[in-house]
Amino acid sequence: MDWSTALIAALALPAAAAAVGLVWRARTGRVRPARPAGRADEQPTTAAAGRDLGVDADVFGASATLVQFSTAYCSRCPATARELASIADDYAGVRHVEVDLTHRPDVADRFRVLQTPTTLILDAHGATTARIAGVPRPNEVRDRLDHLTGRSRVPS
Amino acid sequence: MSRPEATDASEAPDTARAASTGIDPRGPRFTAAITAALLLVVAVLGFGGADLAAWLLLTALAALFAWGAVAGVRRHPFGLLFKRFVRPRLAPPAELEDPRPPTFAQGVGFAVTIAGVLLGAFGVELAVPVAASLAFVAAFLNAVFAYCLGCQLYLLLVRARVIPRT
Repeated sequence: MDWSTALIAALALPAAAAAVGLVWRARTGRVRPARPAGRADEQPTTAAAGRDLGVDADVFGASATLVQFSTAYCSRCPATARELASIADDYAGVRHVEVDLTHRPDVADRFRVLQTPTTLILDAHGATTARIAGVPRPNEVRDRLDHLTGRSRVPS
Repeated sequence: MSRPEATDASEAPDTARAASTGIDPRGPRFTAAITAALLLVVAVLGFGGADLAAWLLLTALAALFAWGAVAGVRRHPFGLLFKRFVRPRLAPPAELEDPRPPTFAQGVGFAVTIAGVLLGAFGVELAVPVAASLAFVAAFLNAVFAYCLGCQLYLLLVRARVIPRT
């Protein structure tokens, strides 16, 4: 038994895993401005966004829409759906839409989704303005929605 | 931790439905914590040169992962331990979770550890602590940071068309 190597492994592995965890926790769930996506010559419309997402065009909000990608194997997704739906309820003209990617690799590819939950914040025209990888931070989502809706938040 | 409010009548059917199918989310994290500790022991033994002991313990852990993946996390021995001895001492969970994500994670754990067991059996001794280290990091992140492997990996498998459309 090589005790020095064993001791290094016993200390380094938990330290490395803790470092990975802290970095992950610091990065996950942040609202990031989205890169302009789609064809440049095409004006974004909710009809096109609905087609790309595989949902009806009438599910979108008049001011903004929170599009949440989920799968059946994502333990964080149901709680995220409840949180985002409750945030959307605080705003007139904001809707929450959940898209299940379990059987939709085509949609996952189109939106380059790497993890669930991933949330897109669409504006009134269906253009993606921001993207959140991981469980969203409610305050950051509200800030973004305040901006998109001109602060039409219903006081609670 | 505050107890969940059960006064809202509109939530009652939801809670009842979840109770029949959902699991206490702290169960899989408890299981992950014990599993992580044992995987660390495998890695320490393996890197320290105690090849046979490391291989035997990793084989036992691979068998536990297989049991969790096939029988479901609710019948995993550590899950039963949690249900019997730990959960009665805790407040009821704020919400129940779908058992499919942690069951999927058990399958991933099995794939990683069985690779180490098989490579170790064919003379690649270093594969045993390396596989144990990889599985340790995932189990540690699950236990400490509530990291969810199914959230990250499942979608990548869908996109790689490894998991076919059904």
